[in-house]
Amino acid sequence: MAERLVELQNICKSFGNTQVLDDLNLYIRENEFLTLLGPSGCGKTTILRILGGFESPDSGHVMFHNKDITNLPPHSRELNTVFQKYALFPHMTIAENIAFGLKIKKKSESYIKDKISYALKLVNLDGFENRYPDSLSGGQQQRIAIARAIVNEPKMLLLDEPLGALDLKLRQDMQYELIRLKNELGITFLYVTHDQEEALTMSDTIVVMNQGYIQQIGTPKDIYDEPQNAFVADFIGDSNIIPGIMIHDKLVKILDANFDCVDTGFGENKPVDVVIRPEDVDLVEPEKGIITGTVTDVLFKGVHYEMCVMARDFEWIVQSTDSFPVDSKVGIWVDPFNIQIMHKPESEDEKAAVIDL
Amino acid sequence: MNKSKTTLLAAPYAVWSAGFVVIPLFIILFYGLTSENGGLSTGILQAAADPINQKALALSIVFSLIATLICLLIAYPLSLVLSALSGKAGRENTTFFTMLFILPMWINSLIRTIAWQNILERTGVINRFLNFAGLPELNIINKPPAIILGMVYDFLPFMILPIYNSILKINKDYIDAAKDLGANNIQTIFKVTLPLSLPGIIAGITMVFVPSLTTFVISDILGGGKILLVGNIVEQLFTLDNDWHAGSALSCVLMVFIIINILISELSERKDLSENSKGGIEL
Amino acid sequence: MKKSAWAGKLYLILVLIFLYAPIFTLIVLSFNDSKSRSHWDGFTLDWYISLFSNEYIMNAFWNTILIALVSSIVATLVGTAASIGMYRMKLPMKRLMMGVTNIPMLNADIVTGISLMLLFIACRMTMGFASVLIAHITFNIPYVIISVLPRFASLDKSQFEAALDLGATPVVAFRKIVLPDLMPGIIAGFLMSFTMSLDDFIITHFTKGPGVDTLSTKIYAELKKGINPEIYALSTILFAFVLLMLFLINMKNSDRTSRRRGPKNWAFLRKATAGISIGLFLCLSLTSCASSYDYDDENTLFVYNWGEYLDPTIIEDFTEETGIEVIYDEYETNEVMYPKIISGAAQYDLVCPSDYMIEKMISEDLLLPLDKSKLPNLKNIDPAYLKMSESFDPGNKYSLPHTFGTVGILYNKSMVDPEDSFDTWSILWDEKYKDDILMQDSVRDAMMVALKLLGYSMNTTDPNELREAQQLLMKQKPLVQAYVVDQVRDKMIGNEAAIGVIYSGEAIYTQEENPDLEYVIPKEGTNFWLDSWVILKGTKHEENAHKFLNFLMEPEMGWRNFDYITYSTPNIGGRALIEEEEIRNSEIAFPHLEDYYGLETYSYMGDDYERQMNRLWREVKSF
Repeated sequence: MAERLVELQNICKSFGNTQVLDDLNLYIRENEFLTLLGPSGCGKTTILRILGGFESPDSGHVMFHNKDITNLPPHSRELNTVFQKYALFPHMTIAENIAFGLKIKKKSESYIKDKISYALKLVNLDGFENRYPDSLSGGQQQRIAIARAIVNEPKMLLLDEPLGALDLKLRQDMQYELIRLKNELGITFLYVTHDQEEALTMSDTIVVMNQGYIQQIGTPKDIYDEPQNAFVADFIGDSNIIPGIMIHDKLVKILDANFDCVDTGFGENKPVDVVIRPEDVDLVEPEKGIITGTVTDVLFKGVHYEMCVMARDFEWIVQSTDSFPVDSKVGIWVDPFNIQIMHKPESEDEKAAVIDL
Repeated sequence: MNKSKTTLLAAPYAVWSAGFVVIPLFIILFYGLTSENGGLSTGILQAAADPINQKALALSIVFSLIATLICLLIAYPLSLVLSALSGKAGRENTTFFTMLFILPMWINSLIRTIAWQNILERTGVINRFLNFAGLPELNIINKPPAIILGMVYDFLPFMILPIYNSILKINKDYIDAAKDLGANNIQTIFKVTLPLSLPGIIAGITMVFVPSLTTFVISDILGGGKILLVGNIVEQLFTLDNDWHAGSALSCVLMVFIIINILISELSERKDLSENSKGGIEL
Repeated sequence: MKKSAWAGKLYLILVLIFLYAPIFTLIVLSFNDSKSRSHWDGFTLDWYISLFSNEYIMNAFWNTILIALVSSIVATLVGTAASIGMYRMKLPMKRLMMGVTNIPMLNADIVTGISLMLLFIACRMTMGFASVLIAHITFNIPYVIISVLPRFASLDKSQFEAALDLGATPVVAFRKIVLPDLMPGIIAGFLMSFTMSLDDFIITHFTKGPGVDTLSTKIYAELKKGINPEIYALSTILFAFVLLMLFLINMKNSDRTSRRRGPKNWAFLRKATAGISIGLFLCLSLTSCASSYDYDDENTLFVYNWGEYLDPTIIEDFTEETGIEVIYDEYETNEVMYPKIISGAAQYDLVCPSDYMIEKMISEDLLLPLDKSKLPNLKNIDPAYLKMSESFDPGNKYSLPHTFGTVGILYNKSMVDPEDSFDTWSILWDEKYKDDILMQDSVRDAMMVALKLLGYSMNTTDPNELREAQQLLMKQKPLVQAYVVDQVRDKMIGNEAAIGVIYSGEAIYTQEENPDLEYVIPKEGTNFWLDSWVILKGTKHEENAHKFLNFLMEPEMGWRNFDYITYSTPNIGGRALIEEEEIRNSEIAFPHLEDYYGLETYSYMGDDYERQMNRLWREVKSF
């Protein structure tokens, strides 16, 4: 794997009486597309602002290429930010906006001119040089904000929920755009969002956060398939999270029925949480299921149906390309590979994180 | 609510301002355009051509421009300091700072200006202190610098408040963005904060320039009667000469300058009608 | 980072010192035992005590507060309603209204004041409390509008609609939903207009009438002769009050650590504002000052006199004895008084102009002949002065001498070369005393000095002589420290200047305060002047006016007034009551007229002449 570009060591930060980050450690590799994912107020924006230099941590260090930049002011850092609401200077034209950083660095006129047209081409907004930001649509402003940041050739681009204000279609287009940009530029992206779909689509690595604590770090697939706790499981996609008891290795008891699984090492007769993704629940003939239930609700979702099944006083969410009529009896069967066992939360904070849901 | 009915709420004000703002201005114009025997006159042109008036007007313009510039140079950095301080401590401080600059106005401006005599006089506070310290005396009382100082003193709050307000209104993201793009604090101020607070600056300039241009009190109190500003002449034409026609004519000349000033501030305001930039305070 | 924060705070403190330094000076002066502001005579609280018994200052103060309060409340109501209406207007109309709103704010105060004055005169409206109030409301409304109107921009329209949807009537929805959002703007507008009204001088100066003084106009009237220390005391009390307010607001704010600026903050400010308003109203009703006077009231007398020219206790005694209420107003120069009378904007019964002004008023038929049968005390007046009066009032038909005196040179023995002789006007042209000379800031007095030095009559109409005198004054201007009126007194006491031109009446007082000062009547001759009471034609209180004049001529009153103002009294009985012999026989106060050369009184030369003189004087001051 590539070298570590940025490292956050033991970062603490509080605003007034509210502790936002508590002893947080995180590193970002070069060329990585890393996403901080979590609900609002989880501390992800604070991390970004600490990296950008807009906030200084109460304690801890920010390392950049193994150099301590904790106390370096924002303008001396080799990274640039794309702000949530773009923050394009309203009194400057698009060209002036893009040239802002370059002029500060006293680059030559011709260099700046080249850079502007290169950047505008890159974001597909040729010919917008002399317009003012308020004459642009949200998506266009967004792309200008990116252009303004990348002309400075930062080692790392910080993006603070950059797609939050765009509508759905535009958001999807921009996701592809961002991936393309990242590949073309070959720099590190730190992306902050609360949208799990964005995170899963674009990232190399996702950091799931809640209440100032990192819940899980991993590839999108890791995070999705093997959430380490109920918070992650619930936050990433839809999940059936059911309390259960680990009878012994590879056997878990849920809702008074024994399910085969592949997990080991949880001890014997230990309470655990069990995560089963809706698409992993197979609805079969009642007699073929491990347990049986009744379909209470069916919604057509385009590519699949989403159904609610009441079985042993638990409401299962099931996604399937086949539909069963409401009130029909069905059997529930789950492939052992698709059963994900998680420890019950132990620390007070983790518990808080779960209860908060 | 019924739109036309709601609009009627502005009717009392419309009537009031027609009666007490618009008509009185026409009365001045009427006096300016007529002579004592009732005929039309070229009083306005005469007033503009009179060398005494010209000199007073020129002096007034120079003094008030200098005073306005000094106010701006004092008020802008101050507003930056204030907004930095209020930014840290939350919104409540804004009220406190605003009050801090409004409250001196609750003590009558005349008496405060008179107090400057005591401070600046030959035997005044400053010179006693300088004598005590063995330094040369400061002798500006009854001279132009004292008048300019009086103008700066009296009208400084009118420069501070709109600028402070407009700086407070600047979205913090713009400042962060500028720093993020490599601008240091000074560069950020000149390239981002300053242009974005322009409405406040222009409002402040108007609020200081016009009263400085037309004051007669400050030159009376701190000028030792040796310096006639255009306001002094207008005042004397009304109260000493009892010559309303000449006084109105000179007022009309004065208004030309005021109108120019208003037009400039109108132009800058076109951009956003909603902006509360003119000396309005926000608590 | 740290360093710049400190620099910022230091800078803030420096600016605050600049803004508050004059106020601290006022506070110090309020404890000064000397009536003259220019030297420190030790600590006293006397001014605070006498402040509350000084009816004029207290009246002016309550007027100021009442006008500020009423005008800002009316402006807040009208302005808020107007803002709501304007918000709903179509753009061209809205623009027009905004344009009109900008006029009083961007226009010069002096133009606004003059235009309103001309309007009131055109409408034949008597200027007084009401005219000032109208003027203040007029310039206050725009401050409310610019504070309230922008609030609509941040208003959430759907909230209002939601309220309607939930069954509220538009009025209720407005009161419950919109008004709370507008409140900060409304309060800011109120506060701003209250402040502007408190601080206004110029507009009030042009729109006020008799008997109505605000603090500013009172201070301006006193400016020419030196401020009454009670005003310093009042300012100090006001400042303490203001500081307390600021402290309370700040305390309330730091009380809450929460970063939210909740409605709580407003609730507090609102309560505070309401509290202050109620408190002020209570005070107002307690002091029950009659701020507006009815000229038609039979039991009154409207007197217009020079500033500091009558012992106020004499008026009190008069009112006590006769039950006639005296509405007393002051002016600084004849030239200020005259237009007020002539414009008819102000109604008075008794005025005390100078000789030449009386001549002018007689020629314009403005005066009522005195009924001497109602003035038995006329016997107390020295016939010598009545004879002098004949030069402007033949037969003493219209006027009754109040004071008299000469114009001369006051010099400071400790500051001048003893070799020089000071009994000549030419000393005022001595380069040696550059910046040490105080000249009178009135046309006639200044021209008199130059004309006398040139050996001409002070009443000359010869254009060449006048031009010559003007040139002489222009030559003198670089040597002059300041052109002042009665301030020459304070400045000479405080060693601010070495030589000044002064009225003999001030000389005695200044010598008491500063023994280094010496008064001389120049050998080239000077002005002998008389200020005399006259009754204005059209008075409705002829009887009262005669009673008042007769009362003033009682020996005791003549003496008391001399003691109070130190201007020479023509009242022989009064002079005899003076205890100190050297003052009773003072050559300064009571000169033997026959011993001096070239004493003249001013004559009235006609309006055109006056305007011509004013213009000559403006040229002196301007170039």
